Formats: sequence, structure tokens, C-alpha cells
Amino acid sequence: MTALTLDVRDVTKRFGDGETAVLAVRGVSLAVQPGEIVLIMGPSGSGKTTLLSMMGALLKPTGGSIRLDGTAISELSESRLPDIRLRQFGFIFQDFNLLSALSVLENVAIVAELAGLRGRAARDKATTLLTELGLAARLDFLPEKLSGGEKQRVAIARALINDPTLILADEPTANLDSKIGHEIMRLLRSIAKEQGRSVVIVSHDQRIRDIADRVLWLEDGAFKDIVTMATDPVCGMAVERERAVSAEKDGDTFFCCSRGCREEFLGGLREDGRADGRQPHGWSRLAGALRSRRRRASTTQSDAS
Amino acid sequence: MSATLLLARRNLARNRVRLLASVGGVALALSLTLALDAIYAGVANQLTTYIDRAGADVWVAQGGVRNLHMVASTLPESVVDQVKAVDGVATVTPILEATDTVAAGDERAVAYVIGLPADASMGGPWEVVEGRGQVGPGEIVVDLAFARKAGVRIGDSVGVLGGEARIVGLSRGTASLVNSVAFVSIDDFRAMRGGAPVVSFVLVRVAPGASPEAVAADIERLVAGVTAQSRSTFVAQERRIVTDMSADVISIMSVIGFVVALAVVALTVHVATLARRREFGVLKALGARNRVLYRIVLVQAVLSVAVGYAIGLAFTGLLGFAVGRTDLNLELAVTADSLAKVGLFAAAIAGFAAILPIRQVAGVDPAVVFRRGAPA
Repeated sequence: MTALTLDVRDVTKRFGDGETAVLAVRGVSLAVQPGEIVLIMGPSGSGKTTLLSMMGALLKPTGGSIRLDGTAISELSESRLPDIRLRQFGFIFQDFNLLSALSVLENVAIVAELAGLRGRAARDKATTLLTELGLAARLDFLPEKLSGGEKQRVAIARALINDPTLILADEPTANLDSKIGHEIMRLLRSIAKEQGRSVVIVSHDQRIRDIADRVLWLEDGAFKDIVTMATDPVCGMAVERERAVSAEKDGDTFFCCSRGCREEFLGGLREDGRADGRQPHGWSRLAGALRSRRRRASTTQSDAS
Repeated sequence: MSATLLLARRNLARNRVRLLASVGGVALALSLTLALDAIYAGVANQLTTYIDRAGADVWVAQGGVRNLHMVASTLPESVVDQVKAVDGVATVTPILEATDTVAAGDERAVAYVIGLPADASMGGPWEVVEGRGQVGPGEIVVDLAFARKAGVRIGDSVGVLGGEARIVGLSRGTASLVNSVAFVSIDDFRAMRGGAPVVSFVLVRVAPGASPEAVAADIERLVAGVTAQSRSTFVAQERRIVTDMSADVISIMSVIGFVVALAVVALTVHVATLARRREFGVLKALGARNRVLYRIVLVQAVLSVAVGYAIGLAFTGLLGFAVGRTDLNLELAVTADSLAKVGLFAAAIAGFAAILPIRQVAGVDPAVVFRRGAPA
């Protein structure tokens, strides 16, 4: 596989005109290196899906450019885009988007056929891939007979069948339980790290931060500084680390909402966990401490590229 | 089968009720046209059966008369010898022919009455199932179906040409939907019609090796005031009458069938496409070109129509079989021309029916894949 980079430069997307115009994406820039996993997070309506659609050549940007392996895909005519989508991108969706009338094998093989592989060869290739993903016993099943995790693995096989450069995943763990979600995350990581493919994930799932090389925060259509949240060990309130009052204890850093809580925390710990006769919520205190410890520091970025 | 064709087939088959409605609608609409064609072809067959089975190679009629039915032909009796004298003519049989009714009690049926000479070597009944085929004075051979319907048998008398005749034979294959053929003595026929020394047609059997067309041409050249046609030409002329009579009706019914089938298939494929709109968007997002999606839609339409066509054909065949086992004297003949015509209809229906869904598919936004919908 050729090492390629997705290069998004100053991309803007506006829907509508005049007073009703909505600027969904505002001058976003982003570069994705081969084998890199980039997680884009942000509140609903922040423009994540619009950005992902533009990166996947499903939507034309209003301004800026998107280059894949040096080719400006944002400038290509509609007639040239199907080949790019077919061979360069692999899509993974929250809703799986499998074709309900086709079996597991056919769902994957059809994409290989679209790329020009003949029927038998396409089926063989799909069978191999699905077997590697642990779906050998499900080849003839219709999607409706599969669990959520199995459906997502089929979608991943479909995304990989044409050996794409870039995997674009939209909320890949959203419809899955915790265990299966982790399984899918491990799979995405191995796709990036063992196969050298770039992976861009749009998600609300905090767990995916664990496998991401970079986490970007999209808000109001633009990348913003990442705010790292922590939980006050005394009152249990979510606080922004950067604005919180920190407290050092036994080599660990804790984040409190106010000096009062900090004093209470430090004093309470000194006095058998009690302060002013008020019992800190034991659970929230412990959980907050753990969260504060576990929270991985993420890169603060104003320009994510 | 390629995955795209498989997808088209499965998309159709996923909703069995819709598929059945579609295929059933097409089958009924096409069988309407097929059955009507078959009925008219059957009637044409029946109307030309006498010409086909009478045994004559050449038919000689009054000048300008080119049909047996719906016209009157009168030739002087002297023509018979003139025709017989033409080179290439082996034997001749003069007949008298008129449209009349054969009556038995309250039962009256239209019949082509044929007056035959006693020594006729042609023109008589070709399949006599009871009694005899030769008719003498005061005798008649009637069709078996008529006899059954009228409740008469050998030896009974029926009214014909203003007189009475005794049944001496029952024939088969001499009845059609609208009439039958009855055979009487040419002398009786002539007497009942005033005794003029005339004949309606002269039936000619050509000598071995002679061409009927050439002999017909010679007869026309050598005998004044006659029109001579080979059997095949005569049959073609006769069929043209049926075609002319039925063309408008068949056209109207065909248009109705076409419109009904088109509406059914178009609606079905339209609904099937709407139901899979998101999946078409998924295919687009995955890199399928529009032409691939068009092919899926078109295959769905073609499959609906093809299955409907096959069922319509089978239905028409069954209808013909069932009708053949009744006393209706109706024949359904499915001809190659009719199959080709209805097949072309079906192809056109599939093509037109796919236009609207193809426009829908062309407008599907591939970015639909990122909108939340029903999970697969």
C-alpha cells in the first residue's frame, strides 16, 4: 500500500445563501499521516459529520481544499469521485448501513465487484477477510440475523475489501455495548498500526481516546482547544482542568472547583476523610480521584494540523 | 450472478406481497392482450378451416371475389368445364355456398351451407364422426357440436335453405365460435334457390408437379370473368378480413393492457426504489457509479415484467386448454407474432417503468449514509 496523507486545508462548508446561510465548517485544516488514528470529537451540530462527508468526497466544500495523496479530491468532477470513494476510502457507519437484501458475504463481495473484481474472486477475497474478522460462520447470514458487533465487523470488512488508504468511521461504537465497542476499537487500532492505514473517527465515545493518536475538538464548525475535564474529588462536579484549582497529594494531582473544596479535600484527607463534619460523597470522591488520575493529558491545539 | 443483479433480484423478492401484486398485475395485463390476440387468431383459424381442409389447390370465384365469407360469388355452370380444360388442372368440383340458418326445433344456428355434387372429390366434410359424408337428395351433414346443442341425431330432420333435410352424417372441426358448416346436395341447394344453372366456386386440384399459383394465373388468363387464387392466397385473403375486423379492438385492448401493466410495474419499482433509497445512497458512498444503480433498477423492472410475461403466457395457455374442453367452439391460438408483439410490449413497459425510479436514484445524495436511519 502506498503511504498517503489526507491534507485538509482551510476547508469551509456553507449551506444555503443570504440570511439563511449556515456555516457548518469554518476554515478547518487537518493533516492525517499514514497509520495515524485521528479522533474528532465535539458536541452535536458542531460540523463533525459535514467535515467527515467532505473528507470522504461525499460533499463538496464551499472553500478550501482536500488532498489525498497529493490529489485535490475537492476539485475533482463528480464523475471521477466514485473511483476515489471505491478504492481510496473505507467507510464505517454508526448504523452499519449494510444492504439488507444481501448476505454477509455478498455485502462485502459487492464492493470488490464494483472495483472490478470478478464474481468468484470477489467472493473469495471477501471470504478471506470475513474469516479473519471471525465471521466465517456467518457468511450466509442476512444482516438482520447478526448482532451489532457482527454487523460492525462486516462493515469493517466491507471498508477494507478494496485495500483503502483511509478509513473514515462515523460513531463506530455508538450502537454497541461496552465489550463489543472495545473489540471494534482494538480492530480499528490494528488496522492503523499493523496495516498502516490512516483512520479518522468521528465520535462522542470517550473510550476511543484511548486508541487515538490525536484527539481534535470541533465546535461551531472549527477546531478548538481541547478542554480536559476532571471531577472535583469533594463535590463531584465536572471541572475544566485548565481552570480548576489543583491539589497535589502523594504525588498525584487532583482538580477542584474552588479553593474551598481544595482545602476541604486536603484537610479531609488529613482528618480521616472528614471536613467540617460534612462527609464527602465517598463514591464521587473515589471516582473523581480515579478519573483525575486516569485522565490522559491530550494535546492542546488551536490548529490541529 | 453478479452481486448487483443479485441485489436487484433480492430487493424485489424481499417484499413478497409487493412482488406478487406486481407480477400478477403484469401477468393479467399482458394476458389480456395475449388472450385477445389468441382468440382472434383462433377465429381466423376456424374461418379458414374449410378452405384449408376442403382439398382444393386453387379456388375459382366470380371475378373480383377474393373471399369465401361475407361476399357472394356466382359463376355460370359452364365455367366448370372451361376451368377443367386448363393445363395443370387435374380435377374440379363445383360448389354452391350461402350463409343460412340450420334450424332444429327452437335451436337455430348460423351456418355456411355448402352444396356438393354427388361425385364431389373435394369440398366435403373431412372428419365424419358418425354416419357418412356423401349427401344425396334431401340429406344433410351437420356439425357434431350443433347436433349436440340442438339435440338432434342421425335420421332427424332440420330446416335449411327454406326446406327440410335429413341428417345423414355428423362432422367434427366444422364449427367456429359464430357458425358451423353444413353440407347438402348441390341439386337441393340449386332447387331451393330457384334452379338457376350457377355455381359459387369451382374447386381445383392441380396435376402432380403443377404450381397452384401458376395454374391459378392460367385460369384467370383463359377463363373470362373469374378470379382464381391458390389456397394459400385465398386463406391469406380470408385472414385479412378477420384482421381488419379485429384490428381496432385488439389495438384498444392492447393499449389498455399496456397502460395497466406499465402503471403496475412503474409503481412497484418506484416503491421498491423508494424503500431502498438509503441503500442506494450507501452504494453511491461506497463508490458505485450511477449506471450500476440504474442497472439494478432496470433489472428489477425487467424481472417483474419477464416473470409477469411468463405467467401471462402460461395463463393464456391454460385458458386455451380450458376453453378447448368446453362446448364453446372457441379456439385460442397463440401465434409467434402475438408472442413477439406482447414481448416487445413487455420490454417497453420495463423500460418506461424504470424511468422514474432511475431519476430518483440519480438524485440520491451519497452523504445520506451519515444521517441516522434504521440500522441494517
